[in-house]
Amino acid sequence: MSGSAGGPGQSRRGFINWILGTSVGGLVLAVLYPVSRYLIPPEVAESTSVTVTLSLRPEDVAPNTGQIFQFGSRAGLLLRTPSGELKAFSAACTHLGCIVQYREDLGRVWCACHNGHFDLNGRNLEGPPPSPLESFVVNVRDDQIVVSRET
Amino acid sequence: MVMRVFDVLGLCLLLALPAWPASAVAQEQEESCVTCHSVLGDESLSRPATELREDIHASKGFGCVACHGGDGRAVGPAAMDPARGYIGVPERGEIPDLCGRCHSDAQFMRRFNPSLRVDQVAEYSTSVHGSRLEESDDPRVATCVGCHPAHSIKPPSDPSSSVHPLNVAETCASCHADQEYMGAYGIRTNQYQSYTESVHWQMLSVEGDLSAPTCNDCHGNHGATPPGVSWVGNVCGQCHSVMGQLFAESFHSQVFTLLGSPGCATCHGNHGIKAAGEELLGLGEGAACAMCHTSSDGGGMVASEMRNLIDSLNEGFEAAGSILSRAENAGMEVAEARFNLNEATTDLVSARTAVHSFSVDAVREEVEAGLEVTSAAYAHGEDALGELKYRRLGLAVSVTIILGLILGLVLKIRHLEESQAARVDPGGTA
Repeated sequence: MSGSAGGPGQSRRGFINWILGTSVGGLVLAVLYPVSRYLIPPEVAESTSVTVTLSLRPEDVAPNTGQIFQFGSRAGLLLRTPSGELKAFSAACTHLGCIVQYREDLGRVWCACHNGHFDLNGRNLEGPPPSPLESFVVNVRDDQIVVSRET
Repeated sequence: MVMRVFDVLGLCLLLALPAWPASAVAQEQEESCVTCHSVLGDESLSRPATELREDIHASKGFGCVACHGGDGRAVGPAAMDPARGYIGVPERGEIPDLCGRCHSDAQFMRRFNPSLRVDQVAEYSTSVHGSRLEESDDPRVATCVGCHPAHSIKPPSDPSSSVHPLNVAETCASCHADQEYMGAYGIRTNQYQSYTESVHWQMLSVEGDLSAPTCNDCHGNHGATPPGVSWVGNVCGQCHSVMGQLFAESFHSQVFTLLGSPGCATCHGNHGIKAAGEELLGLGEGAACAMCHTSSDGGGMVASEMRNLIDSLNEGFEAAGSILSRAENAGMEVAEARFNLNEATTDLVSARTAVHSFSVDAVREEVEAGLEVTSAAYAHGEDALGELKYRRLGLAVSVTIILGLILGLVLKIRHLEESQAARVDPGGTA
């Protein structure tokens, strides 16, 4: 093997050095890219199937009102009773899975699909729903509403 | 046997207590009737005394004399003295009024169960059973004791009660499923068999929903009567109120009444009602619409159009659910898309409900809202799978680079070793 400039040995060594340099560069990029993606928050929110912290302050929920929130991939219903208590339930009607809503005029949870009624404890009162709504635990921590599954 | 009865009567005489007047009020201590009847060899005479221990009336302090009269404080035949109000086994035709002496008296019943209704006897007189008893003293027709077995009456909340929701159908079937017994009336006896194959029985017995309907929820209990053709929809509408209302306001409601078709039951059946699926709609096999309509009439076209609309939403829902599942199983985060897809469930159920208005526009409105949701969810699923593909490509590139680096290092090391060997032995050893 000749070590002279322009010889085949010199050419191979240059090629190998190029491959090494490129590979190291690629490796550095491959490490930095996921690190940067980790540091920058993703566009899609993280899955929260057990506990969710709502982007609501307790005072945002007026008495005798309710609103739907995302609980993992499911819909939840957060309501404040006329007496001021915060409650949360699964928003899927136990009949056929329609999204229920809080009816301020009735003071009840109501399913529009088949006129199912639930009381403020989630118990099925009227219509076809066969069982109560699944209830969640609501806690207020540092001015934030945290909803969790009952264990 | 005769000697044994006399022995028992003798024993009772020894235990004789002062004779107290009979009354239909709660009694504090066991009556002589039970003492004697419990040890009688004739099972038909001893069974009432044995069964009565579990009867709700006994638990409230009522004994034999409350219904049979006589004097429970007296012993032996004196207890059954007609002069003391003893009536023995009540005549069949007298039973409703006998029970009604207490059960129709609101003031009296309030002392034991303030929430219990006191119009059972009045309702009974409006029933087919009550009418037949009153008009023809029918010896086969059900009276109070036909459903509430005398001497072992339990409240409906007791799972062993003949009128507990899970047992009502069997109680009714004890007569209504008996071909021989019902032969005289010329009515069908397959209702119980059909009912046990229905979605209502499924909900009641398998799903444990005790509010699911059994016989008395549609026919009434004490006022049991088949619902009339023109108002059967009101009966179903007690639970299925939205569909009932849409149907009542529809053209079909008037037509069915004119034709003498029983509203809801015309399409859904009655005792053997199944969970309503898409197959009931349209003109295909098993479709209820096809019983009256064909593809050439306006109603048939409306039915087909509504079916196509709902099928399109079903397909969109399944496609969106499927692509989200694929993305989810591959580790992608699709919780938000799944959350949004819940809206489509509501739209799909609402579209199925809107069918009862027989209006294509009403169905279309729900379907289009649902398709908008399913399309967005599907697009989200496609994006997630695209992102997955991009990540896999990135992984392949990274692995290729790493493998290239390893290869380069190996070649570099080999080159260095060769260079070192050449310096140590410039002339070679050959």
